[in-house]
Amino acid sequence: MIRAVSKTPVVLALTLGSVLFMMPFFVMVSMSLKSPEELARTSVLAWPVAPTLENYRFVLANPTISFQLFFRNTVVIAILTTLGTLASSAVVAYGFARMKFAGRDRLFLLLLATMMLPGIVTMIPSYVIFARLGWVNTYLPLVVPSFFAAAYNVFLLRQFFLNLPRELDEAAMLDGASPWEIFARIVLPLSGPALMTVGIFAFIYNWRDFMGPLLYLNEPDKLTLETGLRLYQSQNDDQWHLIMAASTLVSVPLVVLFFLGQKAFIRGIVMTGGK
Amino acid sequence: MVRGLLGILFALLGLTQSLAVELRLTVWDSDVALDALRRSVAAFEAENPGIKVKLEPVPYGNYQDKLLTQVAARVAPDVAMMNPENFQRYARREVIWDLNEFAKTDPTFKIEAYYPEIVEAMSLNGSLYVLPRDIAPIGLIYYNKKLFDEAGLPYPNGSWTWDFRMRPELREKDFLWVVNQLTKKNAAGKTVRYGFAPGWPQAIVDTFVYSQGARYVDDPVEPTKLTMTDPRVVRSYELAREMAFEHGWMPSQVELQTSLMMGVQDLFVRQKTAMFLSGIWEVPGLRQKLKPGTKDFFEWDIVLVPAFKDGTRAMPTGGAGYCVLKQTQHPEAAWKLAKWMAGPFAMNEMAKTGLAQPAIAELARVSPWVPAPNDPIEMQYPASRIITDAAVPNVVFNPTGELYPEVVGLVNAQLDRIWLGTTSPKDALASAQRIGTDRLNVLRTESELPPFSWPVGLGLGALVIFGLAAWVYWPERGRKMTRRERQENRTAYLFIAPWLIGLVAFTLGPMVLSLLMSFADWDVIREAKFRGTANYVEAFTVDPRFYPALKATLVYTAVSVPLGLLIALGLALLLNSRVFGMPVYRTLFYLPSLASGVASALIWKAVFRADGGLLNTLIYGPDGNRNLFGLAGMLAPLTTPGSQVNWLGNEQTALPALIVMSVWGAGAGMVVLLAGLQGIPEFYYEAARVDGAGPWTRFRAITLPMLSPALLFTLVTGLIGSFQVFTQAFVMTGGGPGDATRFYMLHLYDRAFVGLRMGYASALAWILFLIIVVFTALQLRMSKWVYYEAAP
Repeated sequence: MIRAVSKTPVVLALTLGSVLFMMPFFVMVSMSLKSPEELARTSVLAWPVAPTLENYRFVLANPTISFQLFFRNTVVIAILTTLGTLASSAVVAYGFARMKFAGRDRLFLLLLATMMLPGIVTMIPSYVIFARLGWVNTYLPLVVPSFFAAAYNVFLLRQFFLNLPRELDEAAMLDGASPWEIFARIVLPLSGPALMTVGIFAFIYNWRDFMGPLLYLNEPDKLTLETGLRLYQSQNDDQWHLIMAASTLVSVPLVVLFFLGQKAFIRGIVMTGGK
Repeated sequence: MVRGLLGILFALLGLTQSLAVELRLTVWDSDVALDALRRSVAAFEAENPGIKVKLEPVPYGNYQDKLLTQVAARVAPDVAMMNPENFQRYARREVIWDLNEFAKTDPTFKIEAYYPEIVEAMSLNGSLYVLPRDIAPIGLIYYNKKLFDEAGLPYPNGSWTWDFRMRPELREKDFLWVVNQLTKKNAAGKTVRYGFAPGWPQAIVDTFVYSQGARYVDDPVEPTKLTMTDPRVVRSYELAREMAFEHGWMPSQVELQTSLMMGVQDLFVRQKTAMFLSGIWEVPGLRQKLKPGTKDFFEWDIVLVPAFKDGTRAMPTGGAGYCVLKQTQHPEAAWKLAKWMAGPFAMNEMAKTGLAQPAIAELARVSPWVPAPNDPIEMQYPASRIITDAAVPNVVFNPTGELYPEVVGLVNAQLDRIWLGTTSPKDALASAQRIGTDRLNVLRTESELPPFSWPVGLGLGALVIFGLAAWVYWPERGRKMTRRERQENRTAYLFIAPWLIGLVAFTLGPMVLSLLMSFADWDVIREAKFRGTANYVEAFTVDPRFYPALKATLVYTAVSVPLGLLIALGLALLLNSRVFGMPVYRTLFYLPSLASGVASALIWKAVFRADGGLLNTLIYGPDGNRNLFGLAGMLAPLTTPGSQVNWLGNEQTALPALIVMSVWGAGAGMVVLLAGLQGIPEFYYEAARVDGAGPWTRFRAITLPMLSPALLFTLVTGLIGSFQVFTQAFVMTGGGPGDATRFYMLHLYDRAFVGLRMGYASALAWILFLIIVVFTALQLRMSKWVYYEAAP
């Protein structure tokens, strides 16, 4: 514990750090509230004299690029993938944690090995396969794989399941419960925090995914917030006031969600942190 | 009741949806031309109820890549705009229709109405693949009548000629003499007004070359040899170079980009050049900038380029049309659309904009292409538009060979040095010839490679997977299971089935496929060809971007990962010290990692902007006069005097800028480390303090070891992520300037999805994969410093 006397330099450092870290956000918001004339005239550090929401109105009223649609698409994809991730990872993790089967240990080693697999090596062939299946320009390549249990989430949940006391399992088994019933009625309800963590991380990851939608989504109407923002920027390259307004719009949802779910989020990090 | 009616309504709508045919039409037009297209499309829909057309504009720079990728992904449009230079790669892959098939059964269609020159250019082996829409002879010289009057010269009427030397005896019949007369220099001998400016240097050179009867390749349809070192070609480049550098008659590229800083059209508008050479597409811009009655207005017109002294007139040309993709679900409707868009109505709409000369000969001889007396005053310019019809017999199409675009890219890179003044035409052409020929030969041998043997490949792949399975089940061999065990076994496999299926379908399968592809040459459309290890060899020896990409990625990783880790650790330590408002600080530091990746890239683009960006405003002040911490002085070598550093535009600062940006995301590592710190039991520190250990010792002996698993985790994931850095470069710099930020992933993406060289890109992927594996293995090997607390 650091004594109160030496706290001042810490506070100073933290304040300076926060200011530095928040400056880009400040610039983003302040630029988004300026008219293009004011933007050209004033310093980027100055808060707008007459803040206007006109840029936001303009961005949202664009006839061909609809951020509302992007938001909806992103929500759909994020929710579907999160559900798929939770369902499949929990089931598989339970299998590894609680059940005995042939080849279990070596299969688990295989799982560990693929945990840190860089996506680069499966990106192209996946694209080729999905293209041949006719799945390009649909959400299928983005959503379907999430139903097949990514290694990392299985690992996390398995750790968690291993730490659950076995007595409840054993009691249930004596009562004649099937593994599925034990899983669904006993283990799952106890796994709230861990599932929440996996769910939150999966949600954030899929919400922010850029490469996936970039490869597989062609039509402007199907894009997500990330790729939609990119499209908007490529068509309005120098219009900084509009680009910043669009960027703010795109950043807001996750930040809001974070504030709402802070506690669960931090708890999740604590759980996974030391592993 | 209402619900019932609504239900019927919805059903009806659904029904009509399926009756309506929807066609997708991709084009690269923009602005005025796009408006003209929209009107044509609307008229088509009015004439053809039941067909809806979706017009999809794509920027010209990306157009071919996007189209090819869409074809590969089976999401091609129905009708696509196409030009002679590019259509062969679709025709030879057999993904576009031979339009004669449609024309044969369509009595209303008359191919004879079109200029035969462009019909031939858009055909291959007797099959017409693209329906011509416009032709754009690049042999029009725009001239400023007022300046001709001032120089006492009669307006050019097209009967002028050119030779390598000025021929003053011919006066206004000699092109170079006219140019010289119109050039104005100041007392110091520097040109203040040019006599002539080519729209781009190649334009005038092409005229010189072609009108001598020379060419750049032996066969434009299927080039086998380059003829860049033909003496006539060399002399043409030399003449153009002299005109710019020695006589000062025309501006050089260097001047255009640095001191003049405007395009050739603007040079003309501001009367800094008396004439300029281009195609007819300059007209809308000129009409807009030179409005009769305004102060800047002057009379102008067009004339054909001079013929060679022997009377041969020749010029390069552009042209465009529409092709029909075989992937279309509605070939007949698509043909109708293509016919309409390459028909009189659409051509006239385009003609009204002054932008594109109709490909139907008759239409190019009458209004609205040729000005009529009662046209509005703006549309009267240029008055001599009828000459565009006379130009057509003189056009020479650029080679349309399928392999040519890639070769010409390399060739032009060499030739650009002529216009920068750094190399003589003779040397540049010699190296262009050499490099271009090498590439052409490689490309031609490639098309003769043996086909890739999928059965063998997949067989090998299956072997690998079986091998893996064998390794997994080896310890189990010979073990007998009880009935209960077998049952549990079965159930367990049901539980892990999602992962197991995913392992094969989304991990192992693709990895095997990727490995196989790395030994092949494949664009996913045609059949794959076997290349052996040639892809790997090409990466290490031929690919000019391979080492820069590797270097950029390695440098980025080597600096940003440790830097990020240190800052994350520092922040975590600070936050761990029970300050008031810790959650607030923690949130503030974490937020940037949560913001959208693309938005972050754009925000930092604003931060790094040379003119008014956040960083420069901090260093140089809002009015450019401040000198924060003397930084402006220190940074002076990185920029020209008097201007601020262009962080993303300067080769030396672009990568460091991105590295600095990566620190912004340190919050993610910080929360992990903070959680780790908070998990260290307090009594360790107490015990250490009691023993008299100072803060540094406490840090080294307790904090670091207890934190080491989290540190290792952050380090390894940071490394793996950093090796695959992509979004920032993609959004902010596109890999530039030069190759400064051309990260490996970006290069790979470009090769795979822009060039459609999936085989080569797979080899690139495996190379990086192996590098990452080696690094990770090394790290884990060296992780003896990681201290694992025994499980309680």
